[in-house]
Amino acid sequence: MILIVGGSYQGKTEFARNEFPEAKYFNQLHLFVKKRISEGKNNSEILAEIREVVNDGEWVIISDEIGNGIVPLDENDRTWREICGRIMIELAKDATEVYRVVCGIGQRIK
Amino acid sequence: MITLIYGGSSSGKSAYAEDYVCQSNCKNRYYLATMQAQDDESLERIERHRSLRAGKEFITLEQPYDIANTIKTSEDCIILLECMSNLVANEMFRDGKVNSESYTVDKIIKDIKTLDEKVSQLVIVSNDVFEDGLEYDDYTKEYLRALGKINAEIARMADKSVEVVVGIGVER
Repeated sequence: MILIVGGSYQGKTEFARNEFPEAKYFNQLHLFVKKRISEGKNNSEILAEIREVVNDGEWVIISDEIGNGIVPLDENDRTWREICGRIMIELAKDATEVYRVVCGIGQRIK
Repeated sequence: MITLIYGGSSSGKSAYAEDYVCQSNCKNRYYLATMQAQDDESLERIERHRSLRAGKEFITLEQPYDIANTIKTSEDCIILLECMSNLVANEMFRDGKVNSESYTVDKIIKDIKTLDEKVSQLVIVSNDVFEDGLEYDDYTKEYLRALGKINAEIARMADKSVEVVVGIGVER
């Protein structure tokens, strides 16, 4: 599995399509995590579900980095940001390659 | 000698910083905690960090401000300061007053230099809180400017600056 992270509108998807045209995509992971939290799922349940999905074949996971701001006032936003960060750390450990995309430029960090 | 470890919230920067500090050969390992427990959520965070550090032989020093006083005299030790974002808030909004951005920046940089002279290694964890594109009130903007300037100044003084992204250290 390949993990691609970066801020919003940084050209992550385009970068991924150019680099890994044959792969299957799990895009907007941060929104998937948010949805599962709203359904009452916890960190490890969400992570297990993601791992199950990407278990088979060549997968590229794409996610926004959402932790680079002031602590949100809303508790749900704080929870989302924390769980998203922790899940991405675990997925980065699983990944064979990790890229960070800034201004359309992908930097391989693993 | 200063090392800067920088990253967003839940980026894995604390775990990275602790591993980094544990690789040093200094006689004593100190954990300089700048966060003041104000509510259940901050207590939870403190507890999480305590369990991360368990078994790593850190001596915890709670110093929400005036970090120059953390260590009295010079010694062979490594200090992990966690984290700068709390320290800046504590120094800026202190004793019921609001200190200016320039006062806060000068005070903290001076304190860092004093502390750095007394120890073998100073490892500073700081936060990237600058990329949410939101507009904040004047106090928060003043705080953001102070933290941004301090981060840049620490990076200038540091022998090494590392940005942590999804748990991976990227040297800057």
